[in-house]
Amino acid sequence: MLRDLKLRNSSCAPSQTKKAQRKNVARIAAFTLLMSTGVAFSAEPKEWLARMNKALTTQNYVGVFTHVHGGRVETLRIIHRVRGGDVSERLLSLDGSGREFIREGNELVCYFPDRREVLVERRAPDGPLLGALPSIDEDNSLVYEIRGGERQRLLGRDTRVVALQPRDQYRYGYRLWIDEKTSMPLKTQLCNQAGEVIEQIVFSTIDLPERISDSMFKPQVDASTYRWFRADRRVAASSRPALWDAMRLPPGFRIATRSSQSMPGSSEPVEHLVYTDGIASVSVFVEPRKPDSKPSEGPSRVGSSSAFSTVVDGHQVTAVGEVPPTTVELIAKQVKASKSPAPPAGAMGLAPQRK
Amino acid sequence: MNEERDSQLSAMFDGELPGAECELLARRLTRDEALRAQWSRFSMIGAALRSERGVALHDRVAWRVQSQVAQDPTYGDGSFDTATTSTHTAVVAPASVKATPRWARFARPVAGASIAAGVAAMSIMWLRTDSGPDPMLASNPVTETIVLAPEATGTTVALNETPAAEPVPSNGEPDVYVTPVPSSSTSIAPPARLANYVVAHSEYSSPLSRRMALLGLVATDPESTAPAEPNADAAAGAADAP
Repeated sequence: MLRDLKLRNSSCAPSQTKKAQRKNVARIAAFTLLMSTGVAFSAEPKEWLARMNKALTTQNYVGVFTHVHGGRVETLRIIHRVRGGDVSERLLSLDGSGREFIREGNELVCYFPDRREVLVERRAPDGPLLGALPSIDEDNSLVYEIRGGERQRLLGRDTRVVALQPRDQYRYGYRLWIDEKTSMPLKTQLCNQAGEVIEQIVFSTIDLPERISDSMFKPQVDASTYRWFRADRRVAASSRPALWDAMRLPPGFRIATRSSQSMPGSSEPVEHLVYTDGIASVSVFVEPRKPDSKPSEGPSRVGSSSAFSTVVDGHQVTAVGEVPPTTVELIAKQVKASKSPAPPAGAMGLAPQRK
Repeated sequence: MNEERDSQLSAMFDGELPGAECELLARRLTRDEALRAQWSRFSMIGAALRSERGVALHDRVAWRVQSQVAQDPTYGDGSFDTATTSTHTAVVAPASVKATPRWARFARPVAGASIAAGVAAMSIMWLRTDSGPDPMLASNPVTETIVLAPEATGTTVALNETPAAEPVPSNGEPDVYVTPVPSSSTSIAPPARLANYVVAHSEYSSPLSRRMALLGLVATDPESTAPAEPNADAAAGAADAP
């Protein structure tokens, strides 16, 4: 892409020799030919992101990658299958804890062999399809600068490097090395606003099989003697109107979805609000605080995810997301009980949320 | 013995250990805690060095690597110049770390595209030998195979030794769930509750951020994060699966 940009720039230069012009005409012809044949070469950075998103959500793939975060290096395998609209995914640690997460249908089962425990999370049947949101849309350019697209060799493959640079401190950025041929992200870096790498994933192998058998989604541990935790089915999800909302949001964030759901360990339905800027997302969980339990307040972290907990009107409010600590703190502190599901817009230098 | 072991690890890291020895060492890594710790350190050293050409590690990571290397009599001179930590890129400054030959082995520039491979990408290359396709995919037609760093030789093997060595049960899930019903006295530890939230949140994340969120749980110190744990009553009464 750098070569293409040079080409376009040089063709606009006022002082060109005829030889140079002829050369450029030839280059433009070659470039146009490539475009007309649909070769990925011509895609813009934004298009590469869209292709990558599509590849991640529609293709079968089996890969091994290295994950680096906080001084820890871990090798993991991922198995991803899309069959008739159903997404199955298995993520397992190949060293260390031996933990693995298996998602099939609406259920995500998390195996923790090191603790001999299993956590089962169930998504609402009418919930959005995985990957359906958030998405890359025209609004992203307000909060992210999307740039790059230049070709770079990575471990023997031609990739396009695309950067999503945050325009403010409320979100992280990404640097992606997207495989030209398959649109799979071979390398992903999560970066802060200063461009420092916080977390990194590098694939060493990826297979794109036509079919992946069910047997590949079986856990490698015999969990029959483990303790299983899952949402109490007797805790029915409520259909009452949402009573909670964030009064103000960081720029670019908007409400994506809201639900009232049962969660493992909760005897009451938990209000779950999801806010997104199109790339990053933040979940807010609101549940009645048990009188004899110690309130959880303040910041915490899980990997590169930030969380902030506070207590509002006798409810435990926790915001979680792959965003800087400032963002979850701001959102959590803005959550209030409201009779109206559409809170009023306001100033404070923060963007009002949109429905 | 340690010397020999380190030498083997080092050779493996450089892709210079024969395939058969690699496999043996890989098997040993799965059992030997100390060996894994050493491997992890090697990975970090390599990571810090490779970051010199395009992979910037977080300051704190860089500092830890440099500090650890400098203070390790095997690799450093026991001193550590904190002034070198001011940059965002993890570069082990030759002035602050007196390299031994073994250290120099990691410190030497890695040529070609493997530099851009990023942190610890090489840490799994040693598991690849010439023994054929991924056994997990053997029965499935593969439309596309991306083998990165072909210079690392071979195809995947021994990446998932555990299931190969031990018979896998049906699917490990008991027929009947026993759901812990929290009583009014239930007190969910914040870190455990947080794990539940992260899992629930991941269901609504973009493909990229979802993976990052779950990876946080997979790789997080088990002591700091765990699934929701019911109170003693609930656990005793209902948590243990049949």
